[in-house]
Amino acid sequence: MVDAARQPLIEVKTYTEVEKVEGYVGNFVVTLREKAKYVRADRCNGCGACTKACPVEIPNYFEMYLAPRKAAYIPMSQAVPLIYNIDMDACIHCYKCVEACGALEAIDFSMEDKLVEQEIGAIIVATGFGHFDPSPMVEYGYGRFPNVITAMEMERLNNSAGPTHGALVRPSDGKSPKHLAIINCVGSRDKRYNSSCSNFCCMYAIKNALLLKQMHPDTEISIYYIDIRTPSKGYEEFYDRAREAGIRFIQGRPSEITEDPDTHQLFIASEDITLGKVIEREYDMVMLNQAAVPQPDQNHMSSVLNVAQSPGGWFMEYHPKLRPMDSPTDGIFFAGACQGPKDIPASVAQGSAAASRASRILHSDSWQIEPTVAVVWPDRCVSANGQACGICSRACPYGAIDYTKGLAAEVITAKCHGCGACVGECPHDSITQLHFTDAQVLAQIRTLLAVEPEKKILAFRCQWCSYGGADLAGTSHFEYSANERGLRVMCSARMDADLIYEAYRLGAGAILYSGCHPQDCHYITGQIAGAKRAARLEKMFERMQMSPGRFRVEWISAAEGDKYARVINEMQASLDAIPEDVLNAEIQRLRPEMEKKLTKLGNVPGVAQAMVQVDFIVDEMISKEKVA
Amino acid sequence: MSGFTDPNALSERVKAIPGGDMLMMCYSCGTCTSKCMIQTKLESSYNPRRLIREAVFNMDEAAFADKTTWLCTACDLCYPACPQKIHISGVINAVKALAVESGEKTPYQVARVDESTCVACGLCEKVCPYDAIRMVEKRVAFRGNISVASVDQGKCMACGMCTAACRSTSIRLTQDYNDAELMDSLWSWLGAERANS
Repeated sequence: MVDAARQPLIEVKTYTEVEKVEGYVGNFVVTLREKAKYVRADRCNGCGACTKACPVEIPNYFEMYLAPRKAAYIPMSQAVPLIYNIDMDACIHCYKCVEACGALEAIDFSMEDKLVEQEIGAIIVATGFGHFDPSPMVEYGYGRFPNVITAMEMERLNNSAGPTHGALVRPSDGKSPKHLAIINCVGSRDKRYNSSCSNFCCMYAIKNALLLKQMHPDTEISIYYIDIRTPSKGYEEFYDRAREAGIRFIQGRPSEITEDPDTHQLFIASEDITLGKVIEREYDMVMLNQAAVPQPDQNHMSSVLNVAQSPGGWFMEYHPKLRPMDSPTDGIFFAGACQGPKDIPASVAQGSAAASRASRILHSDSWQIEPTVAVVWPDRCVSANGQACGICSRACPYGAIDYTKGLAAEVITAKCHGCGACVGECPHDSITQLHFTDAQVLAQIRTLLAVEPEKKILAFRCQWCSYGGADLAGTSHFEYSANERGLRVMCSARMDADLIYEAYRLGAGAILYSGCHPQDCHYITGQIAGAKRAARLEKMFERMQMSPGRFRVEWISAAEGDKYARVINEMQASLDAIPEDVLNAEIQRLRPEMEKKLTKLGNVPGVAQAMVQVDFIVDEMISKEKVA
Repeated sequence: MSGFTDPNALSERVKAIPGGDMLMMCYSCGTCTSKCMIQTKLESSYNPRRLIREAVFNMDEAAFADKTTWLCTACDLCYPACPQKIHISGVINAVKALAVESGEKTPYQVARVDESTCVACGLCEKVCPYDAIRMVEKRVAFRGNISVASVDQGKCMACGMCTAACRSTSIRLTQDYNDAELMDSLWSWLGAERANS
């Protein structure tokens, strides 16, 4: 940070919070709250006279509360900029610091928070991770037993700039521990707290053990683990070195730590998995290697930045393998553990990648996006007529649609990724998607169902997964029914109910509604919207007593060519099982019901004209074929 | 993949029993074993983690002969400690039910009903914490077709609650702990206490 602050083109804004982020890639407007330090940056010379004079002492957060600090303080010795700060929550207003500051007159109690608006081209989020507080895990006694400490507390105890100047002492009596235990997976890989693995703790435990062993060779160190995970280059060798150095690795998760209340000695009972026996050992001090968890205010940041969170609470990347440093919103990038727990090498790599991604934006005059963006017809939008709606805005996984009651919904084109969820959801057909307009998709449906529709299986496939699956079925030569007719849209969220009704109205034999598996969706939550709609349709068709198998919902990945072929063949089988006259009678019976649902479709701009044209072209083709 | 597994394999049968469904989630951390009072205070060969492995690898014989199968009291100390939230006593119970089904008998004692005096009042059925007692219709010598209590040997944990509750002393544990012996030991204990004070 000190290095970064020296760069003339880098402005470091510390003690500043992001209040609001508006705009889009290349054109963000960020509102920052510059918090009042009560010390004027232009006058303070960092001499520290105020700290010496301050009579208030409170626990120091930076030292994990193991040491005190004053109300006039700097958070740490490498703070940037080196300007003191007065903690107003702790200050007793004795003004001793003002006296001590003297002629410099740097201390100003009248300062207030400042809100600053700044134009920003790209944003890199590097908010890091938080620490799991092990006190709810009563079995380990953290908070009750003084000699049970967390990894971060050990980090401060073992630091030469820390509260003990690097002397390793146990909190109960200040003696140097001779038997030390490290327990891994405290709160991680634990379904009661955080089910995921925290990624770096195994290496971190080994690092701490080796470091302590080097400085205190007479200390016996044991590491309790479930599995030791050393997957990167040189990590396993590091593990080897630790075993060579005499560190004891015990496979078995301790169930309980007990304490002798007089001596504060600790006893750990655990099963040694390899022996199959329970062993109990005595220790002077125990370090809990606690889980890495999202920052306490990660949810707040997520709503400020309008980026989604993965199930564990971490920020969600665009793609877990191919674009781990990009957020789904163009122009916002992630670096480090805010996107998921990771160690230093991985954080550095991701940070550099994010920086290069950001610089691409800063160096370009224009920005390319997918051409399949959504467009609103302002005259059709009911919100413009004063009705409360906003369905499109809620459906958008990217927050790209501005909805204000009384105004037509507005698509921020630069934010739109072209999934079509808004188009699929809009109950008034007031929004459309370029290259996938209702007219275009309906024209395809009409063409595909022009001849003997009752024998056809119309397959709605999403661009990224089920279309790929169908492709793979073809290139792998998996045989499936020739009656299948595929139709591509960008996402299952675009598969508007109207399109399905129209296909049935035209007499389609069966319809497949397919898309990505929920975790694979290319558009964050597009598949979820698609799945909800599909479930609704399934229920409705069941009420209409449609024959089973005529409407099928399947999630097929691009790798599941065999599944695609199997599903189509199964659909063909169930279509064959319906006698021809029964099927035709059913199509006739349901046609008026479908028509009832489609009364407004003809008014959608472009649809009526397109249908006339399609019918003309199709008729011509059919007659030509007959002649031939 | 599930299509390739044999539904008659022990692991599949355990999973099919309510309580045993989490079987495959165990990652063998050993928390349950070191938490267990039976293992730490009574029987060192008792090991729920190992029993789960035996069930996972379809080792029917080893699992049915394992003391863990028969000794678990379902106190559920391990359940809240398990980081995978596996209801371990549920898995053990499932294994035990399968063991009983295949004709295995507990090597430990269970409650026995004296059918010549049982009046099927149902008190024992109510107090049994393991749901091991049912009233059944059966033919009893000299009494004809009557309803009597019947103990499920797979479920009984020999806690003695039924013995304590029975008004007609018709249900008792097989070996020690009969009323006379219990009173004897109680008196001798009380006597010793008196002598000490």
